[in-house]
Amino acid sequence: MTCPRCDSENVRIMVTAPVDNAWEVYLCEKCHYSWRSTEDIHISEKFKLTDEKIDAMGVIPPVPPLD
Amino acid sequence: MSVISKDLRSFLALLEQEGQLVRVKEEVMPEPDIASAGRAAANFKNGPAVLFEKVRGYNTKVVTNVHGSWENHALMLGLPKDTPVKDQFAELNRRWDMFPVPPKVVSRDQAPCKENVITENINLFDVLSLYRINDQDAGFFISKAAVVTADHNDPGNFDKMNVGTYRIQVKDKDRVGIQALAFHDIAVHLEQAERQNKPLPIAITLGNNPLVTFMASTPIGYEQNEYEFVGALQNGEPLEIVQSDLYEHLYVPAGSEIVLEGYIEPRVREVEGPFGEFPGSYSGSRKQCVVKIERITHRTDPIFENLYLGIPWTEIDYLMALNTSVPLYKQLKRDFPEVVAVNAMYTHGIGVIISTKCRFGGYGKSVAFRLLSTPHGMPYSKVVIVVDEFVDPFNLEQVMWAITTRVKPDKDVSIIENCPGMPLDPSSVPAGMHSKLIIDATTPVAPEPNPRDVELLMPPAKTGYWEDRLKELWNKGGK
Ligand SMILES: [Zn+2]
Repeated sequence: MTCPRCDSENVRIMVTAPVDNAWEVYLCEKCHYSWRSTEDIHISEKFKLTDEKIDAMGVIPPVPPLD
Repeated sequence: MSVISKDLRSFLALLEQEGQLVRVKEEVMPEPDIASAGRAAANFKNGPAVLFEKVRGYNTKVVTNVHGSWENHALMLGLPKDTPVKDQFAELNRRWDMFPVPPKVVSRDQAPCKENVITENINLFDVLSLYRINDQDAGFFISKAAVVTADHNDPGNFDKMNVGTYRIQVKDKDRVGIQALAFHDIAVHLEQAERQNKPLPIAITLGNNPLVTFMASTPIGYEQNEYEFVGALQNGEPLEIVQSDLYEHLYVPAGSEIVLEGYIEPRVREVEGPFGEFPGSYSGSRKQCVVKIERITHRTDPIFENLYLGIPWTEIDYLMALNTSVPLYKQLKRDFPEVVAVNAMYTHGIGVIISTKCRFGGYGKSVAFRLLSTPHGMPYSKVVIVVDEFVDPFNLEQVMWAITTRVKPDKDVSIIENCPGMPLDPSSVPAGMHSKLIIDATTPVAPEPNPRDVELLMPPAKTGYWEDRLKELWNKGGK
């Protein structure tokens, strides 16, 4: 399975439904996108992620220097 | 006056009794049903809360749109549900002045939120019916938590304990991302901890007394405690709180449905977002903080409460309406007693209408300057409209009348460049910077010349009598 957002193959099952195994939720360990097996996922082009985009992301809040 | 609800459950019972809660008994899918119903409920003028009793794959009920109408808002305050917004504003102002009302600390066995404890194999999905709120959200978000943290260098200082609402992205069964913007109180606590490379203890409380949720999203001072404000807004009745199980310096509302305890991992930032935000558009992905959950306590048969955010108005706009207006009004009123009311309910105070009497020429504009220098107004407020004291700022038709008949654009419209802006406002470029617009729609007073002074049209003498009489006849069906 690949991540619909960043195309990483580093995807695992995050959780299975507590009742009836009704669905599974998947997690991309690279970009932390998650989705349910029952969803029809279409990521808008604007929100697709690449290594460059991830590297360029802002950090909120900034990490302060150590005392 | 009806009773002020002490916890979410009793409030839901009140809403149901008042016809402001809809129960959905049939099984629904997490997506897209829950969010869609949140949008739909907000599309009604007097939208009800929506309680889903059965969500496919989950054990827990979920409720949305609890704050999502002026009727529900009035009931939260223990007022009749048809109380006009202006009167709700006035009542909030009256109770606000009772601050501080210290909370009552109850023992663990008196706190319903401690009825059940989970310490092993933590799985948020066991107790929360998590779901995607907007289509392009990066995952399942918790949008209505009251998050408790304390000053890391002064942990025993109750006044510096903070209860705030921050967006939370579920990133694993026991791990969530949290947004702490630099100007939020939680960011102050976090920086203290991160400078020492220490985890920051945190309690995420869910399914709260609606006034706790209301205060958690109210902008107040760093050394003002939200719990003491809840007591004031409960008309002087202290809020019951209880010590966190893991951290002796953190206190949570005793009646919360669910409490997640854990810590913010120091100096860690991970991809978070996008998330559909209150300005009605998505905020993109950034690297943000992560919380490890180590303990869950919850009431028996807990109810998960969450809110939908969309293009205004949706539930969040009702939640952040008067709780933005009241603190701004109080700050203005302190220095300018002529100010009558502040309506800051447009996109969390990005748009504000101030009603004031003008003591001398230029007064209205100066009141706007003061608003733009308040702690909340400085980053958030961008469009400030000032109207005379006889104009109701909660009545947009009246405000438009003031603009159309009082404003001389060449002198009454001012733009101030290069000021702070709200980063989530998509017109803030670069994010965090903005210009400010002031529209002074007040009538000129000396020494400003007013060469075309007018006489206002006053209601005929028996208007009040006829309002009552017509209502009477109307209720009888015109007979
Ligand atoms: Zn990914």
